[in-house]
Amino acid sequence: MPEQMSRRTLTGTGATPRAAVGTVVWYDRDSDLGDPDETSVDPPTELERFEDAREAARAELEAERERTAERVGEQEAGVFDAHLQFLDDPQIESGVTSAVENDLPAEHAVKRAFADPIEQFQEMDGRMAERADDLRDVRDRLIRLLTGSERVDLGDLPNGAVVLAERLTPSDTAQLDPDRVAGFATVTGGRTSHAAIFARSLALPAVVGIGDELREVEEDATVVVDGETGELCLDPTDERREEAATASEVDVRTDPVSTVDGTTVEVAANVGQPAELDGVRAQGADGIGLYRTEFLFLDRQSPPDEDEQYDAYTTALDTFPDGRVIVRTLDIGGDKPIPYLNLPDEENPFLGERGIRRSLDSDTELFETQLRALLRAAADGDGELAIMFPLVTTVDELDAALETVDAVATQLDAENVTHAVPELGVMIETPSAVFAAPELAERVDFLSVGTNDLTQYTMAAARGNENVEALRDPTQPAVLRAIARTVEAAHENDAWVGMCGEMAGDPDLTELLVGLGFDELSMSAVTIPDVKAAVQSVHTDEASAHATHALDAATREQIRTQLDE
Amino acid sequence: MSSELERVVTVVPEAGLHARPAAAFVETVNDSDSDIQIAHATDDDDDTDLTPAASMIAVTSLGVEHGEEIRIVADGPNAEATLDELERVLTTPEDELDGENATATDTDADATTDTNA
Repeated sequence: MPEQMSRRTLTGTGATPRAAVGTVVWYDRDSDLGDPDETSVDPPTELERFEDAREAARAELEAERERTAERVGEQEAGVFDAHLQFLDDPQIESGVTSAVENDLPAEHAVKRAFADPIEQFQEMDGRMAERADDLRDVRDRLIRLLTGSERVDLGDLPNGAVVLAERLTPSDTAQLDPDRVAGFATVTGGRTSHAAIFARSLALPAVVGIGDELREVEEDATVVVDGETGELCLDPTDERREEAATASEVDVRTDPVSTVDGTTVEVAANVGQPAELDGVRAQGADGIGLYRTEFLFLDRQSPPDEDEQYDAYTTALDTFPDGRVIVRTLDIGGDKPIPYLNLPDEENPFLGERGIRRSLDSDTELFETQLRALLRAAADGDGELAIMFPLVTTVDELDAALETVDAVATQLDAENVTHAVPELGVMIETPSAVFAAPELAERVDFLSVGTNDLTQYTMAAARGNENVEALRDPTQPAVLRAIARTVEAAHENDAWVGMCGEMAGDPDLTELLVGLGFDELSMSAVTIPDVKAAVQSVHTDEASAHATHALDAATREQIRTQLDE
Repeated sequence: MSSELERVVTVVPEAGLHARPAAAFVETVNDSDSDIQIAHATDDDDDTDLTPAASMIAVTSLGVEHGEEIRIVADGPNAEATLDELERVLTTPEDELDGENATATDTDADATTDTNA
């Protein structure tokens, strides 16, 4: 049996094309209880333990509720109200009582009592599935209190740690030291989960969504985490370790790259947090093709002021003294909890008031402050700044945004504040923007195709919905033609054109994108070395011919077949 | 002769009977001396469809959305007062459902109980 247990491989979703070997450190393992020792159970004692744990959990929840209400807002603190009610639920109480009477220790009784309701919520859609997460949180809190376990400090891990966790939240990943962590694997999560995106931005080997089996992996075990194949290899053979070690050595190209015939293609990184800047540079990024500014606005009680934003933007510009940093203005909507913005509760926030729509309507002051900080940074930072506007769907919106830039510049002039108006651009994320691309391009310096949203809106296939995954593919002919049309509109109007979106980071598509005429490609940092290598093997003439051929294809399969040839 | 009372209420909070509004609802139920059960108002008026309202899990599982009607059945000494209180919770928009109001709710429910007793 030990022979069978070892050399096992667990599979999940690979988050990064990287592999590493390391030592398991468990962070936050759910219900890792082993088999109950039924002989030693005294039901009244166990019930008392449960009551004590519930009392302690209640105290913790009330304290956290208080802190959250103070720091973030009453609305956000509401989740703790829900947790408190789940904690006292009669269904849980009777479940625990009957399990304890059947000789289960309290922690096992808790696990059993929560199992059915969690499963029940899990099977429902959307918002109801989130209630399963609430129940899990309550359950884990109780089990942690019952077993007296503590969480590992993610900021202080041994070198070469492979972190295993149920899931990693933004506050978890913010503490992870990328120099010490070899990689990580999670029980839950998909390619677009926070953990997966974080892993890609830091080029960390990671496998997400492995499922319940992951919980059986023991602390201190040696494992290979392979983000390419989506495998976590337990007790790996020497050969497998060797492979992983070699796979981690990446040929990073720090200089800008050109095709065989000398066309330079800028290869840049998508960045969502300042902590990623150094890692991104280390992967050989020429610059930043998409600097998301939401991090400045999330998890706080009031918006960042002009100086704080100015500092953040100049820091990014100073990281790329010879490169370009494209900053996207605040792109936020009803799907994000930002208490001070009073975001509407919309039926479908992805078709609601978000992106530039909010900047021109509800958040004008915020927009002006952001532009003031950006224009000042454009004059002072080392690198070259560019600003782009998200979710523009009409020429009117762009005109209004450009007028705001003018007004802000005039204001700064009048105040004698050093500033510069940098390159301005528009994100192309909707069919409407594609159709308006010529007029949009006429007014700006560049267009940048956001393929994730362009695909979602063109194909009417929601991001994150697994049932429509085949539709949500940028190599669907409709999406590819929309992209080609955008490139053409840009070049005909003397604008350059870039792409920021997952498509840009797929080295198998690099030739196609260069063939379509992209001047810049921006992606998760981890894919930069591969895409740079791919650019260097492209012959522009051949690539254009292939692209033209692909645009004639009627089906995704035809395009795929062509790409494989 | 039972003191069972019944009322149909439209759920006002945008979030429906989830998360915070659900927590406030269940809290009010647990503060009352009456036995409270709920169901979708569209359900057949058959008691087998009723769900115990003292359970957050059961209440949340109903999946009641904003604008939907629920039937509340109250049985007990302060049934009428509890129904009033629950109706207030269900018809208060979520952004007005802050900590202070929740405290006021507790006091009101207690006061009602005392009067009836």
